[in-house]
Amino acid sequence: MALLIAVALFLAQAINFCLLLQERRQARLDQATGPAVTRIVDADERIAAGKKIGGGGSWSRTRVLAASPIPAGAERLGDIEQALRAALTDAGVKVNRIETQVLPISPNDPRLRYVSQSRIERLLRAGAELVVAVQRPDGQWIALNIGWTRSDSTILWRLFAQTAILYGVVLVPLLWAGRRISRPLRRLATAARDFHPSTATEPIVESGPQDVRDVIVAFNALRLRVTAMLEEKDRMLGAIGHDLRTPLAALRVRIESVEDDTDRAKMADTIAEMNRTLDDILSLARLGRPSEPPTEVDLAALVDAVVEDFRDLGHSVGFEEADRLQVRLRPSPMRRALRNLIENALKYGKSAEVTLTATPREVVIAVCDRGPGIPADRLGDVFEAFTRLETSRNKETGGIGLGLALARAIVREAGGDIALENRDGGGLIARITLARH
Amino acid sequence: MLNTDTMGDTPHLLLVDDERSIREPLAQFLTRQGFRVTQAGDAEGARARMTAYAIDLVILDIMMPGEDGLSLTRHIRESGEIPVILLTARTEETDRIVGLEMGADDYVVKPFSPRELAARVKVILRRAAAGGVRQHAPESGSFAFAGWVLKSGERTLVDRDGVSVPLSTGEYNLLHALVTRPRQVLTRDQLLDLTQGREAAAFDRAIDNQVSRLRRKIEADPKAPDLIKTVWGGGYTLAAEVTRL
Repeated sequence: MALLIAVALFLAQAINFCLLLQERRQARLDQATGPAVTRIVDADERIAAGKKIGGGGSWSRTRVLAASPIPAGAERLGDIEQALRAALTDAGVKVNRIETQVLPISPNDPRLRYVSQSRIERLLRAGAELVVAVQRPDGQWIALNIGWTRSDSTILWRLFAQTAILYGVVLVPLLWAGRRISRPLRRLATAARDFHPSTATEPIVESGPQDVRDVIVAFNALRLRVTAMLEEKDRMLGAIGHDLRTPLAALRVRIESVEDDTDRAKMADTIAEMNRTLDDILSLARLGRPSEPPTEVDLAALVDAVVEDFRDLGHSVGFEEADRLQVRLRPSPMRRALRNLIENALKYGKSAEVTLTATPREVVIAVCDRGPGIPADRLGDVFEAFTRLETSRNKETGGIGLGLALARAIVREAGGDIALENRDGGGLIARITLARH
Repeated sequence: MLNTDTMGDTPHLLLVDDERSIREPLAQFLTRQGFRVTQAGDAEGARARMTAYAIDLVILDIMMPGEDGLSLTRHIRESGEIPVILLTARTEETDRIVGLEMGADDYVVKPFSPRELAARVKVILRRAAAGGVRQHAPESGSFAFAGWVLKSGERTLVDRDGVSVPLSTGEYNLLHALVTRPRQVLTRDQLLDLTQGREAAAFDRAIDNQVSRLRRKIEADPKAPDLIKTVWGGGYTLAAEVTRL
């Protein structure tokens, strides 16, 4: 930002100076050619009339020479020569060649004897003389010296100095003002990024210009509203869970009076399924405000324990016992996430295979089944709560997609993610990836 | 006294739940299962009935308006040895832990299977009958042994470096049974009863499997176990000092 302004300022300055330079050059040209033309025309007329050339100050004496006083490889000033030729042609003077040369003024120049000390200094610093030689059609050269302001180098210094002053005057206050705005804005950005409803944080201090203050006030209010809404959501979900569980418990007791064993078993299964969904809802509600702090956990033992619980219930779940793998997380929700993935695999694939692999940077728990898999274009959808893919998954097996949604919410809360992938040869792989610290 | 005619073999249960829709059908079910059941809709009613009858076991809902089940559990425990089974509506662990700490013998989570509840009632009554007094004290809290800590609240095992080693339900129940009875020889039947509340079936290898799994987790050398030792003649014992924390 400041850099941009600095560059823009410099550019503007440079353009200004280019224009100025152009103008100065033009002025110098006019200043140099005007008197030179007058004197050449005058000299030309005098020669034509057979009068003597000379006179005037020794400073700018006009001379008639047989050859050009300008050495062959000297630096020429093309624009001046052109301007002279044009002016002389206008004045009706015919010339063959025009040559020019800029000579610095030597401090020992005898002519300096006649000028004041201050003028000498100025002349030595910036001055030079321009030697103009014009060849008449008869081969004679008319030569004269005129004053010449030599160098443009000071103008560059002036450009830098002016730019530096501009920077000082414009950029410093600008940077100060920018900081005053950007510091509270940066704090706001950090607060917005780190905002998590479960962690009570202090409101951001209002500072900076009025507009920024307004934004901060609005953000603080927004944060309170979001937290309140999420709390309300959690309370509602909790109330739903409690209110549904009581009639469900009553129903569970009443079905014992059903005579038919098969019927009763099916009813019990349905109630159990409803109850699991309720559990998921309640867990989802509690996820934002975990009651258990993260601890160092042996993830291999965790996976093993969850798998063992399934085996105890008679399910076929494969897992090779693995070496200790220490990870920092909340064990209870992670058990639940893994349980949900395995339940899902069992529901659609009848059996499940669990693997645990670790690299120095991350840990991957993969739950694989040989079920029907999921169409590739719907792999992302199943994580949305209440999604069930009727097309590929048996409707009879029931269940809403809440389990997966909960699993993903848990894993994300732990700083990881879940990805689904269809398996070569049919089936689904659900991968939990967790970062190692 | 009213209870004299029922002193025979029919156990007398007191069922306390403010939810009529649960209480009444459950009372019917338990009656059909051969229990004598008295109902109460709140803690006050429960206290009155406990003084009026010789209650063998109380089934108690935790969440009740007025005095709640936990407070009533404490009262029951202070005034005698009547076993208590808690009905809890929450999946929150804390309620159960507090309940067990208050002196409840067991708990079931709503919605529960009435058959399972009846089975647990029978196990607890049998234990009470066998010991004369309640032998199954509330075994909650943490137990330290051989560098390990078993936390019954969180159902986890923590090693000496503070790393949690999660246990399966079966492993946890088994270890809990062993840790609360150090240096006692426990037969497979006893362990099954303590861990699953069921009788051993023929050729039941469940306990042996779980013992070997536990050994792999806690023994320095699972092949030559130092902690969970096999006792000749059928049983296991925990050969370590246990400190309650």
